[in-house]
Amino acid sequence: MFQNAAIIGVGQSAYTRRPEPGQTALHFMRDAVVAALDDARLNAKDIQGMAVASFSLAPDSAVDLAWKLGLSLRWLAQDTNGGSAGMSMLGNALRAVETGTAETVLILGGDATGLAGYAKVAANYNTATQKHLSPLGHGGPNGVYALVASRQIKKYGLEKSDYGHIAIAQREWAAKNPYAVYRAPLTMDEYLAAPLVADPLSRYDCVPVVAGAQAIIVARPDRAPKGRPGVRVRAHRASYNYDNQEGDGLQTGISTFASELWQEAGVRPDDIDVASIYDDYPTMVLAQSSDLGLIPGNDLARFCRVTIGERRFPMNTWGGMLSAGQPGGHAGGLNGISEAVLQCQHRAGERQVKAARLAVTTGYGMTMYRYGGTAAAAILERVE
Amino acid sequence: MSAGVPIWRCAGCGVAYFPEPLLCPRCHGGKFESGRVHEALIEEVSVIRHMIGQENWQPRRIASVLATGGPRMTVGLRDESGPGATIELFEEGTAPFGRAKSSA
Repeated sequence: MFQNAAIIGVGQSAYTRRPEPGQTALHFMRDAVVAALDDARLNAKDIQGMAVASFSLAPDSAVDLAWKLGLSLRWLAQDTNGGSAGMSMLGNALRAVETGTAETVLILGGDATGLAGYAKVAANYNTATQKHLSPLGHGGPNGVYALVASRQIKKYGLEKSDYGHIAIAQREWAAKNPYAVYRAPLTMDEYLAAPLVADPLSRYDCVPVVAGAQAIIVARPDRAPKGRPGVRVRAHRASYNYDNQEGDGLQTGISTFASELWQEAGVRPDDIDVASIYDDYPTMVLAQSSDLGLIPGNDLARFCRVTIGERRFPMNTWGGMLSAGQPGGHAGGLNGISEAVLQCQHRAGERQVKAARLAVTTGYGMTMYRYGGTAAAAILERVE
Repeated sequence: MSAGVPIWRCAGCGVAYFPEPLLCPRCHGGKFESGRVHEALIEEVSVIRHMIGQENWQPRRIASVLATGGPRMTVGLRDESGPGATIELFEEGTAPFGRAKSSA
């Protein structure tokens, strides 16, 4: 448990499917930084450390961004772990503050690649993708997770509509999130009638890419705004290249540390009030939830139809990326953390889960060849 | 186009890999014997019907396959072969493809 480090502020930019001409990732990141500083009631000069992740920085790096933001720092990190970058940066920032390396750390992620830019990122994600997948016309991550989804459907006896329960429930939450790009109600008929993108995945199974940014501030707990409950991280774990791509992708790196995570946190899966599970695809929501032990009996179909379908468990309460949008994989991992913080502080407005006190958040990403190779999770707690 | 797909078999423990590793993930040996694998069993298939950023995209089929005596890999399918079928593998550039075995 982190005793001397807590999350004291969150902020985000607007999200948009199509940025205006001249509107770059840096503009969105600036907006998120300003919002997070305002939320934490800090000035930019109070920030002593920064962690950043973005597909859009090159040829700049983290220090160039610090320069553009006017931040003079004594701790700086740039993270490349895709969908788990947010969680990875959170862990590093907590340790930096806990050890006194920096008193206040800004965690930042954002992108504005546009669809064409994202297509280039997807086709050149790593050497394996560039050499062995892109020439197939594999469709980027959609194609990769289509094959994982086929395995999951076969192994667990799922139906297409099971993924629909996740997409539809999250859309209901998104209706209460003014930042979400898709807020109109989604019916099962609409879900099932949506065009296939990469069989068996259809439109509402695939995360929509948006332009946007997220920021979080980690600091000593006594730097938190007065009168607001703090959010402490009871446990944090991460995993990188957990199985050398030799498995089926239906487990994630979370499976390697889940029991340790719960043990360190001193709570159990059924103690959790609200969950932010990285949702690039419903398939991976189920894989991570299974790894965490959130699915009783590991009955994935029942979890979809009853637990989520009947709204018995609040998951991805900002709408998830499937409805709110994915501002690049990097910032995508930060929005779930931000939502968990707001829920624990009872600041989630219309989507507030009653008396939320404990949250689990995850990140998952870096599609190396057959599935993602990075994952991380944390247990967050409201502290009065 | 060349017949088969390259694999790298660890000289220490005999496990075959694709793509090429630097060290064997199983025994961490650093020596590999390169070879080619010519057949694979199709496990899952997807049809890529939409490609982000592309207009006039023509659907393409891809498959996750278990190479005979070798690793799992993702291949482009050049015909309507489906799960359970054994296909022959070939390489175009650096990418693995497959199609139904010729009857010859």
